[in-house]
Amino acid sequence: MDIDDILREFDSQNAPSNSKDYNDLLKWWVNERAAPEILQYQDDLVERIMTRVRRQIEHIEDQTGNLDPRANFQLIIIQTELERVKFLIRSYLRTRISKIDKHALHILSTPALRHLLSPSEQTYLKSHQALLNELYLSSFLKNFPENLRRLDDSAGGISMVEEPDLESAVFLRVVRDLEVNIAVEGGETVEMKAGDVYVIRYSAVQEAVKRGDVELI
Amino acid sequence: MYGELGNKLVAHAKRTQALSQLPPYQTDIVRQVTREVRDLNQDIDEITNSYEGYFNPSADPARACALLVHHLCVRRNKRCLLAYHRVRAEKIENMCWNGMDVMEQVQAARVAEGDQDDGGSSHALSPEEDEYARQYGDMLAAYKGQWTDIDLTGSLEPPKDLFIDVRVLKDAGEIQTEYGQVNQFKVVLLSSLTLVCSAITLSKNSQFFVRQGDVERLIKQGFLQKLN
Repeated sequence: MDIDDILREFDSQNAPSNSKDYNDLLKWWVNERAAPEILQYQDDLVERIMTRVRRQIEHIEDQTGNLDPRANFQLIIIQTELERVKFLIRSYLRTRISKIDKHALHILSTPALRHLLSPSEQTYLKSHQALLNELYLSSFLKNFPENLRRLDDSAGGISMVEEPDLESAVFLRVVRDLEVNIAVEGGETVEMKAGDVYVIRYSAVQEAVKRGDVELI
Repeated sequence: MYGELGNKLVAHAKRTQALSQLPPYQTDIVRQVTREVRDLNQDIDEITNSYEGYFNPSADPARACALLVHHLCVRRNKRCLLAYHRVRAEKIENMCWNGMDVMEQVQAARVAEGDQDDGGSSHALSPEEDEYARQYGDMLAAYKGQWTDIDLTGSLEPPKDLFIDVRVLKDAGEIQTEYGQVNQFKVVLLSSLTLVCSAITLSKNSQFFVRQGDVERLIKQGFLQKLN
C-alpha cells in the first residue's frame, strides 16, 4: 500500500463534502472542456459551491479589520483558494456558453439537448439567436427571395446547422469497470478496468461519461 | 463572374479573423452580392416560367445546366454573406466579453487604418451591427447579473498568485478594491508597501502590488501592464 492508496481510502471514507464538491466541480469542468457536445448542467453542485463562496466572502469581509498577522495569513490562503474556485466556475460557465454559441441551432431544435441547459443559459441561447437572426435579416436576408431566407435548410447536401462532432477522439480515465461496444464489424467490445486510460471515439463512451463511469482528461 | 464578389467577402472575413480590430463594413460589396442573388433568382424564375410548369431536364440540357449553375451561385453567395456577417458578429461579441467599449474600439480602428475615405464615408460598423453590439451587450449584462460573486468576463487563465505587480500605463484614476481594507495586511506582511486604504490612485508610471481580481479589468483595457 503506498501513499496514494492511503489517501484514496481516506478520501472515499470520510472526505468532507466540501472537498468532494470541489473535486466534482473539477471533474465536470474537465469533462465539459474535453467533450465535443454540451453536458448536463450541474445545477445543485454549482449552487452548493456558490453558497460556500458567498460565505467565504462574508468571512473575509468580517476579518479584514483584524490586524493579527496570523489571521491575515489565513485570509490570504482563503482568498487564493477562493480565486481558484471562482476561476473554475467562470471557466465552466464560459465553456458552456461557447458551446451553446457554436451549436446554437442544433441545441434549439433538439428538445433533449435543451434540457441540459440551465434556465439562464436557455434565455441566453434564445435571445442570442434572435439577435443574430435580426442581424442577418436586416443586413441582407430581407433583400433575398422568400425561399432563400431560411437559416436551417440542408439543400445541396450541406446542412446549415452545425452539430457537434461526436466521432472525435477523447482521452479518458476509467472510474468504474465497464464494457464498451465499439462500432466496428462484428460489434467488438472492450473491457475497461478502473484506473485505465484510453483514447477512444467520444460516441462510444458518451453514456459512460454522463453516468460518471469514466472521466475525460 | 458569378460569385467573385462573394469570394471577396470571404477574403475580408478571413482577414478580419486575424486582426485585433474590426475593419470597416463592406457595405458596397454586401449590396452588390445581394443584388447578384436577386438577379440570379429572377433569371431562375424566368427560365422555369417559360416552361409553364413542366420541365424535363434531359430534353434541354443547356437550360438545365444554366438553372443548376444559377442555383449553386445563389446558395454560395448566401453562404459567403452569412460567413462574413458571422465572423464580424463574433468579433463584436468578443469585444463585449472583454469589456471593451465597442464604439471606442471602432474609433481606434479607423484611426489605425488611416481612415482613407475622407468625411468618414465608410463606417467600421453597419447600423445593423451597431444595434447588434448594443443588444448583445445588454443581454450579456443580464446573463452576468445572475452571477454577482463571479466576474464572468474575468481572465480565463488559471490564477497563480493572489497578488501581482502591475505598472500603470495610463492614468486610471482611483479604483476601489473588492474587500476594502484587505490591503492593510499586505503592509503587515510586506513592509515595503505603502497601500493602506481601500482605494488606490493609479497614476501613470507608478507601480503597485495589488490583488489580481481587483485590476484584471484594467489590464484588459490596457491601463495597466502585468509585470513578472
